[in-house]
Amino acid sequence: MHNSAHIIHSSMPFGLDATWVAVSILLIIYAVIMVEKFNRAVLSLLGAGLMILCGVLNQQQAVAGIDFNTIGLLTGMMVIVAISQKTGMFQYVAIKAAKVVKGEPWGILVMLSLVTAVFSALLDNVTTVLLIAPVTLLITDALAVRPYPYLFALILASNIGGTSTLIGDPPNIMIGSAAHLSFYDFLTNLMPIIPVIFIVVITVIWLMFGSDLKTTDEKKELIMQFDEGAAIKDVPLLRKSLFVLFAVISGFTAAHALHLEPATIAMFGAALLLLLQTWGEPLHDKDHAYEAIMAEVEWTTIFFFVGLFIIVTGVEHTGVIGMLAEKTLTLTGGNFAATTAAILWVSAIASALIDNIPFVATMIPLIQSMAPTFGGQEALIPLWWALALGACLGGNGSLIGASANLIVAGFAQRAGHPIVFLSFMKHAFALMILTILISHAYLYLRYLS
Amino acid sequence: MLAESVMTKDLIAAHVGEPVGDVLQRMRKHKLRMLPVLNDKKIAVGVVSTFSILEKIVPSYIASGDLEQVSFAPDIGFLKTHYDQVIYKKIEEVMDDAPLLVKHDESLLSTAAALTSLDRHEYALVIDDDESLVGIISSGDILDYLRNMKVNDKNDA
Repeated sequence: MHNSAHIIHSSMPFGLDATWVAVSILLIIYAVIMVEKFNRAVLSLLGAGLMILCGVLNQQQAVAGIDFNTIGLLTGMMVIVAISQKTGMFQYVAIKAAKVVKGEPWGILVMLSLVTAVFSALLDNVTTVLLIAPVTLLITDALAVRPYPYLFALILASNIGGTSTLIGDPPNIMIGSAAHLSFYDFLTNLMPIIPVIFIVVITVIWLMFGSDLKTTDEKKELIMQFDEGAAIKDVPLLRKSLFVLFAVISGFTAAHALHLEPATIAMFGAALLLLLQTWGEPLHDKDHAYEAIMAEVEWTTIFFFVGLFIIVTGVEHTGVIGMLAEKTLTLTGGNFAATTAAILWVSAIASALIDNIPFVATMIPLIQSMAPTFGGQEALIPLWWALALGACLGGNGSLIGASANLIVAGFAQRAGHPIVFLSFMKHAFALMILTILISHAYLYLRYLS
Repeated sequence: MLAESVMTKDLIAAHVGEPVGDVLQRMRKHKLRMLPVLNDKKIAVGVVSTFSILEKIVPSYIASGDLEQVSFAPDIGFLKTHYDQVIYKKIEEVMDDAPLLVKHDESLLSTAAALTSLDRHEYALVIDDDESLVGIISSGDILDYLRNMKVNDKNDA
């Protein structure tokens, strides 16, 4: 792929150098994304357009650079989640979890964090916190306790949970697709360390806030009066959603054996649930329901990915990413353990400060081009786990580290308990470093020793 | 027919800096559900209504629709606590700061259309050319006007 650079040079207008044009487009677009003054999807599509208009790529190459497996998996899961969330099952589980621990404030924090982690692993982090955070605020209001420790735990749990599966976090979807790692691979390689990380983080949160979380027996009794059954708004839809979710997750687990890509399973699941959702209703109502669900798909995110894939493909075509990989290998002396550690830590710090999606999109071809040094694609697998752990857990490092963090901060702000950027970072960054240390030890013990 | 012919000219208003409790008392006394809010320069900058005050008493995560329904929750007792806090806030913190404004010489059809279009409003504030408040026009005012209108006047409306 990298030897195409000289071909590009010949088609560049005004005698421009393709490498510089491509790198400038990438750097300018990433910098403007970081400033957060413009919509990131618009920026990535502008960047993608410029890659073609400037002659770095032709349209065919640009379209070939889009990873439709990632796009299909994201879109399919968005449709499934958009339908499932209407059933009230998130609220049901959150309330049930609060009642299991008899309204104990600390127990509720642990249970809500656990629920958030599990939902974030199986669905997407943003939807999970979007639905769990308001219930959490209602519960903390009922208990008359400060919501900050709960919301803090929710953010961390969401990113930790999301790290554990192929579909938990967009970086994992991209990594899985590019490196041909299955849902089962993620389960057997990333999932084992997640409970350890979760327990350590919750313990530290207990040390930080445990003594603040006190309430009266009367208020605990209020929690026991919540009626989780009333949260379920549509029982038939709940059955259909659970059936499709179960089928899709089973499908992901068996995808490798069935020689199917996860996008096929997610899109089929989405189509099936769309069909079942309105089964037996008049055509006009069906159409209305389909359009309403399609409107809930986060098209901004989808187009952001499309543009990003093209931008990264443009830079990749010029051979710069291969060069960067060589430089990285020179820095790490071609040592596999040092390269793994570098990827883990750089990804974590970068993801705490910038959007982890463009970062991972750029890192993927960089890691792929290290294959010859380390003896083929198969040998790179620990590097992919390092990237996934770094990029996903790194999101906990600051309030802007992940979209879910900002959603929770928005709720806190509106509820009159704003989360201050620096005071969040003071605790969260240290906890993020702790989770990366654990990940480092895990990677070393499992793959490098 | 123009907005200024239909509007209520007898105005009772609130000031941005007044406490909510005092304004509520005035609304109760005059049997009103909304008041225009004026700044120091007597310019209308918002509308305070019983609805906008209740919206501030209900927790934001419910009022915003993030928690679509709370039929699963018992009466937690925070409405009274929030009420007791809200009545000491300044009107500017609870008012709707994007009221519907219509010019005094706006046609009745245009005023009625503005009230009923996308961002539904029950009231419009009528302002003159200097943007000073000169009246209020409600959906009820328009209906009353139409009821009292003679048949051969219809072209005027």
